[in-house]
Amino acid sequence: MLRREPASTLVFRLISGFFALTGAIVCVFPFIVIISGSFTDNMTILHKGYSILPRDFSLEAYKTIFKAPQDILQAYLMTTYYTVVGTAIGLFTTTLCAYVISRNEFKYRNNVSFLIYFTSIFGGGIIPWYLMYASVLNLKGSTLAIWFPALTSPFLIILMRTFIKDAVPDAITESAKIDGAGHVTIFFKIVLPVLGPGLATVGLFLALGYWNDWYRSSMFSTSSKTWELQFYLYNLLNAQTAIKQMAQNSGLSHITELPTESVKMAMAVVATGPVLLFYPFVQRYFVSGITIGAVKG
Amino acid sequence: MKSIRKILSLLIAICMVLSLAACGGNKPTSQGNDTTTPGTNDTTTPDKPAIDTSKRVDLVFYVMGDPPKDEQAVEDALNKILLERVNATVDFQFSTWTDWAQKYSLELTAGTADLIYVANWNNYGTFANSGAFLPLDDLLPVYAPKLLEVVDEGLYNQCRVNGVLYAVPATWPEYTVSGVKYREDLREKYNLPVPNSIENFEKYLLGIKEHEPNQGLLTVTAAESSGLITAFDAFMIVNFKYPWVNINGLPYGLAANYDTPSEVYDYWYSEDFIEDCKLMKKWADLGFWSKSALSDPNNDTAFINGLCVAEIAGQNPNKHIAAVNDFEKNHPEWKSAYIAYGETNGVIYPAAATQNATAITAQCKNPERALMVLELLLADEEINRLVQCGIEGVHYEITPDGYYKNLSEDFMYENLNTWNLRNNDFKLPQLSDAILNDMFKRYEELGNKTKWPNINVYGNFTEDYSAYAVERGAVSDVMRQYLAPIQAGFVDDVEAAVADFLRRAEDAGLKACRDGFIEQYKAYCEEYGYK
Repeated sequence: MLRREPASTLVFRLISGFFALTGAIVCVFPFIVIISGSFTDNMTILHKGYSILPRDFSLEAYKTIFKAPQDILQAYLMTTYYTVVGTAIGLFTTTLCAYVISRNEFKYRNNVSFLIYFTSIFGGGIIPWYLMYASVLNLKGSTLAIWFPALTSPFLIILMRTFIKDAVPDAITESAKIDGAGHVTIFFKIVLPVLGPGLATVGLFLALGYWNDWYRSSMFSTSSKTWELQFYLYNLLNAQTAIKQMAQNSGLSHITELPTESVKMAMAVVATGPVLLFYPFVQRYFVSGITIGAVKG
Repeated sequence: MKSIRKILSLLIAICMVLSLAACGGNKPTSQGNDTTTPGTNDTTTPDKPAIDTSKRVDLVFYVMGDPPKDEQAVEDALNKILLERVNATVDFQFSTWTDWAQKYSLELTAGTADLIYVANWNNYGTFANSGAFLPLDDLLPVYAPKLLEVVDEGLYNQCRVNGVLYAVPATWPEYTVSGVKYREDLREKYNLPVPNSIENFEKYLLGIKEHEPNQGLLTVTAAESSGLITAFDAFMIVNFKYPWVNINGLPYGLAANYDTPSEVYDYWYSEDFIEDCKLMKKWADLGFWSKSALSDPNNDTAFINGLCVAEIAGQNPNKHIAAVNDFEKNHPEWKSAYIAYGETNGVIYPAAATQNATAITAQCKNPERALMVLELLLADEEINRLVQCGIEGVHYEITPDGYYKNLSEDFMYENLNTWNLRNNDFKLPQLSDAILNDMFKRYEELGNKTKWPNINVYGNFTEDYSAYAVERGAVSDVMRQYLAPIQAGFVDDVEAAVADFLRRAEDAGLKACRDGFIEQYKAYCEEYGYK
């Protein structure tokens, strides 16, 4: 026997279903167009525009990319490197920092938290930021300049602190302390093991941040060998517009061949691929992690 | 409590040590040597030309655009020679085309580069005014005397800002004359006139429309229009009519003729302007461009893909050559032709010397060595060839009749983007340059007949609009909003729309902009003797 639900619930479900569906379409549609575009003949795109299903099926774009894949593979390699190194070290520093300011016995935890929080509201801006890395630390051209600046952020530290506070009540650490455990033991033996969702959430934030970043390559790379994948792609598009403008000013007579529309689309697919594969596995933690932070934060 | 305090102080100590280590560890690559030299190498007494090159100097040369694949190989070959000759190395650093304008000014602020590419389109004048570059007048004769011989005095004068020399220009005269690129094959096929005037251009388009109603005619947008001179690209066709000192006239609706550059007159309030706007409306009504032209994104491949039959904005001989090459490869039955506005209105001049030049940054630690290197790069045939063309036998070869022939995709012609190192004496011609050289020859002849033979009168003027930046921004907005539809022919009553636009521009502060501009421009004409 089915229990009759009140009409209001039904209406609510309809409306929320409608919005969820619209949202999903809005998100998925551009991606479908990109995939379809990547399989379409370039001249068809130019003349007829994009479509949901490829009009003239063609693998030409992917052939072009993988004919000389060194560049894109190099960019892939570098991005993977930045993502792995950055996420690992970033997770470590963020968690350690969060652990310190989550401890009650640390007298100045609020002051330190405030200092961290403060930087998320008042930043130095881009020029001091750039000068710091380029002139003061002299990191321009080094791969360090690409993953170092994004190791942690105030938001992630505060999120992590909330996790730790929730997962490990003070009583537990106190009893551990009485049993003779130091901070190192407490951190590794008691705090870290229960921090799964927190680590997954912060790790995913960090990893996505690294994977999607192009700006630091743009600012600090001095050789195309250290370019991030997203920058490699973004720069290809920018080169096209800039060369067009430059040609008028500077008389560039011998322009190397520029990517066609379908090649651009294919590159976008190639660049997003791994994230799409990777996301569903971590998403479970991601959702639960975010809600924990949200409810008890 | 105590232990935490200890940990904290330890942490801070570690941080400090780490940051120091980071500084120290990286310094030797670019700055370690730099910091030691100024003391030993006395830059303050340039009149004593004892040049000490015993200390190795690593220089950074900041250029625009993307690096070539074989950058390292060419740099290694170059540095081998440079180390021998002046005990210095050069590392080319590229802005890439992403956010290049922002990065360029950051680069100047941070001062990590020694030599830097400068150009008028890259705000050379503004940066020079704000002290970003090193004055070269005293240094050149001492450290790079050869540069004084190789580069014309006249070219140097064009690079002076307020009388001070900040840059060494390239020595290749180039004509980047604006004009109309059109489909010669279609013109021949239907026996249409050469579109060398507004009337003939109209006949050309109408003829094609009549015979091939489905063929797109123009894909014009607002993309090539600078916000302060014109607002819609199709409007650039009026250049056939006016012998203006600058393409499209002067900013803020002003104009001056090339023969009388200092006599600024008003264009927007003239009958001519209304007439030209009516012409645009006529063309729009004839369907020469799309009804959505104002919001369309710029499609720069429209011409080579046959979506339009002419391009009238943002063109230059090099783009015509690009189209010729593309047609040859993809559509051998199509033909591109080019007619410069100046061939009709009689005003033709080469690009300004500041189009491609090299400066030394104000923070450069070894300006004397940088200059010596620049001298070699620009005035030494072997080195110049290496930088511009790559390694002979690997990247290029010279054909028996003296042309450049590329051998490797990894380093193409001028692939280090050092357009500022073009030297007329060493520049290897390419086969495709034949058409270009013919065009340049024709332009040079025409240019010689003008009142100021082959001088870009307006080219060195840089407007300092800091005093009226707010008004300027407002006028630019008004132009985008109200002038663009007029120039695109999308208004019903042209006269009323123009009057409305002018009223709004006045409210936005047109007068302040005009007054500020005219004052500076007149002073500039005075300084250079353009009457």
